[in-house]
Amino acid sequence: MPEDGLTEHALRNQAAWSTWAEEYVPGAERNWARDEIAWGILKVPETEVQMLGEVAGKDVVELGCGTAYVSSWLARRGARVTGVDLTAEQLATARRMQAEHGLEFPLVRASAEAVPLPDASFDLAVSEYGASIWCDPDLWIAEASRLLRPGGELVFLVNGTFLMLTSPDIDPAQPAGTELLRPYFGMRRFEWVDDPSVDFHLGYGDWIRVLTSHGFEVEKLVELRNPGHDSGRYDMFTAEWAEQWPAEEMWKARKLA
Amino acid sequence: MTSPDATHNRANWDRRSDEYQERNAAFIGRKDEPRWGMWQLPDSELGILGDVAGKDVLELGCGAAQWSILLGGRGARCVGLDNSARQLEHARRLMAAAGVEFPLVHASADEVPLSDSSFDVVFCDHGAMTFADPYRTVPEASRLLRPDGLLAFSHSTPLAMCCFDDEAETMQRRLLTPYFGMHRFDELPDEPVEFNLPYGEWIRLFREHGLRVEALVEVRPPEGAETTYRTAAETEWARSWPMEEIWRCRKTG
Repeated sequence: MPEDGLTEHALRNQAAWSTWAEEYVPGAERNWARDEIAWGILKVPETEVQMLGEVAGKDVVELGCGTAYVSSWLARRGARVTGVDLTAEQLATARRMQAEHGLEFPLVRASAEAVPLPDASFDLAVSEYGASIWCDPDLWIAEASRLLRPGGELVFLVNGTFLMLTSPDIDPAQPAGTELLRPYFGMRRFEWVDDPSVDFHLGYGDWIRVLTSHGFEVEKLVELRNPGHDSGRYDMFTAEWAEQWPAEEMWKARKLA
Repeated sequence: MTSPDATHNRANWDRRSDEYQERNAAFIGRKDEPRWGMWQLPDSELGILGDVAGKDVLELGCGAAQWSILLGGRGARCVGLDNSARQLEHARRLMAAAGVEFPLVHASADEVPLSDSSFDVVFCDHGAMTFADPYRTVPEASRLLRPDGLLAFSHSTPLAMCCFDDEAETMQRRLLTPYFGMHRFDELPDEPVEFNLPYGEWIRLFREHGLRVEALVEVRPPEGAETTYRTAAETEWARSWPMEEIWRCRKTG
């Protein structure tokens, strides 16, 4: 284990995100200014997928919050949120957004694989392309389980399994085709050409295994679909691809009592 | 009321039963231990059913009842259900040869003439969960199970359904069929109608009917695994991508 107790991939991802943070400022400004909760690259409204339920009065932790726009949506709806992210530059953007919007909540600089917060202190843990893809699944799911109270909920969004089988590269992104480019068995840790970061993607059976082995019951899997009327351009897939196959998926699990 | 798909599949399986048993019966009729699926991997390795002694077990789509004969020999009280009379004739023949007796029910799994809460295990191996509509069979399986009972079934993966080439009648390393909206497959007129759903829709359907997901085992055949169901090239495909999978769900409260 390297210094600070960080895993090797956490250090690499921290370094990568410190250089990418500036590119994510415009997105942070757009998302913080947004009223509606909408998930993922496809921006599917929460009203449609209903992953969260009522959040008012809940203690919420966002694992790998980046610029903390998801936290901002939940804070405005009455949740007591805490954002956790390892990258100082991303948290700096989050703090500036907090000041601009007059919406303060705690931000903790840490990896979601080792969170310096007490056991059983949250009702909801959420991650949208945060810990959910940048952390080792067994490590961050274990942390989410530890941080949640019995009966607490975990909601996270990841790239679709079908997308990870067909995506030529993610940085620079090339749109997925139909050819299966890599095996499903053994899928877990991904490294890309000319990209120092490490991301993690599991197949369906492995997600169920990881969640149940850390004390969760799987409640819901929603595979986000391009609604069809959206002809928007995306880097990783075409609108037409995302009408046929799942480009993004959201899991909801409940911590057993 | 018998559904049109159940009627179609009954006639189809009555017609194909003899050839099916001739091709596969020896392969799936091994008596050493319970084995799943197209590559006959042991239940003891996959961890699906475990000990069945003393349990009431219903097989949904038992065919010639190779599974139920084996589980009966391990102390289960089995009932075999199949939609095809011809398949059940083969079952009676194998049961007589094995010197065992248990009830066989001639019915479609989407309308089972058996009582609520009467089984500890409801299962099938590429059976009724493939050849009948899950929107009807999942509620039926749930109704038939006692609290804490087990639903376990193998079937083709949704990924395999997307990669099956109807014209070449083989697997391709390419997505050919849309995933969203997957439900009923009837493209091949001489084949039975098959059913499958997107992963998220399976989970939603299980939970709607009081079934908690315990595991989804994606089957990977060992290198060079033998099968009477698939070509060597298809077995090779299944070494990289899951072609069959086994769901294990628990009836709640």
